[in-house]
Amino acid sequence: MSDLHDGALDLGVIDGLRASVEGDTAFVIELIEAFLADSAVQVDAIEAAVAAGDAEATVRPAHTLKSASATLGAMPLSVAARTLEMAGRSGSLDADDARAAAASIRGEWEAAAAALHAWSAANR
Amino acid sequence: MSTSGIALVVDDSRVNRLVLVRQLAALGLESLEAENGAEALDLVRAHATDIDVVLLDVLMPELDGYETLAAMKADETTRHIGVIIVSGVEELDSVVRCIELGATDYLVKPINPRILEARLNASLAAKRLRDLELAHVEQERAFTATIERQRAELARFLSPQIAQLISSPEGEPLLAGHRREITVAFCDLRGFTTFAEQAEPEELFGLLGEYHRMMGDTITEYAGTLEHFAGDGVMIFFNDPVLQEDHVARAVRMAVTMRERFGPMSAGWRKRGYELGFGVGIAVGYATLGRIGFEGRHDYGAIGNVTILAARLSSQAGADQILLSQRAAAMVEDIARVESVGELQIKGLSRPVSVSNVVDLVPVATS
Repeated sequence: MSDLHDGALDLGVIDGLRASVEGDTAFVIELIEAFLADSAVQVDAIEAAVAAGDAEATVRPAHTLKSASATLGAMPLSVAARTLEMAGRSGSLDADDARAAAASIRGEWEAAAAALHAWSAANR
Repeated sequence: MSTSGIALVVDDSRVNRLVLVRQLAALGLESLEAENGAEALDLVRAHATDIDVVLLDVLMPELDGYETLAAMKADETTRHIGVIIVSGVEELDSVVRCIELGATDYLVKPINPRILEARLNASLAAKRLRDLELAHVEQERAFTATIERQRAELARFLSPQIAQLISSPEGEPLLAGHRREITVAFCDLRGFTTFAEQAEPEELFGLLGEYHRMMGDTITEYAGTLEHFAGDGVMIFFNDPVLQEDHVARAVRMAVTMRERFGPMSAGWRKRGYELGFGVGIAVGYATLGRIGFEGRHDYGAIGNVTILAARLSSQAGADQILLSQRAAAMVEDIARVESVGELQIKGLSRPVSVSNVVDLVPVATS
């Protein structure tokens, strides 16, 4: 597995997740697919909200994305989502960290998706 | 302990729900899923008796965990359901608030299946205990209601004392048979056979109904045990199954009251052309009492010479006579004035017996 993947995906978390479901790899792969489908929609929603300057509208997709990505071990994506959720709750997306997170969220998602695909391929 | 039951998984993330549902399935639980608090409340209200435990995410859009929990605890039908809070490690402060609101326990994500199992077992055990208690209370209530209904129904067919006996714990040994001294009163009507041959059935039943009603009321008044009535013949005993120290006196007082009440009744019948007289025989002695009969048709009965003697005395009694055996007469001399009617040869007894008639009761002294 490449360094890029290692950074985007905490293998300890995803392997722990598999262990927590009786080592059921097929289930984790299904979970990854469900995650990628849902999170793609959430990233779109976040970007649309940021573009519209609608802080409140970022909260819900950012919250769900933060939580689900942490479950699978996509930690950089989860951190970016968390930053946007907090900013959204504060009512302003203007802080530096919020801007940075908004700018990086799609890149983080793509990196996470690539790492999750690689994990699936390696464990299938 | 093996877990089984239904869990409601509440989390805004499908991925998180899928993981929990999978972990719960491994522990033998079925799951319902809700994406937010509002959906969770709808489900919990619709399936309040089926859901064993709720796994509730704290921070959710729409209705959050706090509001959901508070609404569940405020609702009589859902407050008993255990709620395990599922939170991120950075949300531990909110867990405290949830416990204060009535949550049973909490879990921190990522969820360790061993800890999940332990928390679930504790929560489900509490729920099962409560279910068992409720089921037990309901069972007791239904059981008591059945007994009461049966007792009420039995009381329509049996003496209240016997109905009570059958449905009481000490009933079985008494029903199985025992010996005891009792007083037996046997009552019947002079001229009944002739009357029965002549009267129209409606008239016969009307008269019998009137007579039985009077007899029944008087028996109840003196707490006698009605053994049976056959047409005009009625057999009552005292001192069983309920012990009555004054059983002979009770029988005599009852018979005197019956005789008084019979007077106006027979006057009415006489006007219609029926000459009927009331006679009683009373004897005291030991009898064997208990369940008599065969499977499907049992009576509570008394067997012994005392019942035969009472029946024979009754058949010897003229209109308005209350005949006492020698022993019975001796036992009521304080309360009744009696006159000897001499010795009667009773069918079935080798020697003639000395018999007395009750004239009236000794007036109760007033000071």
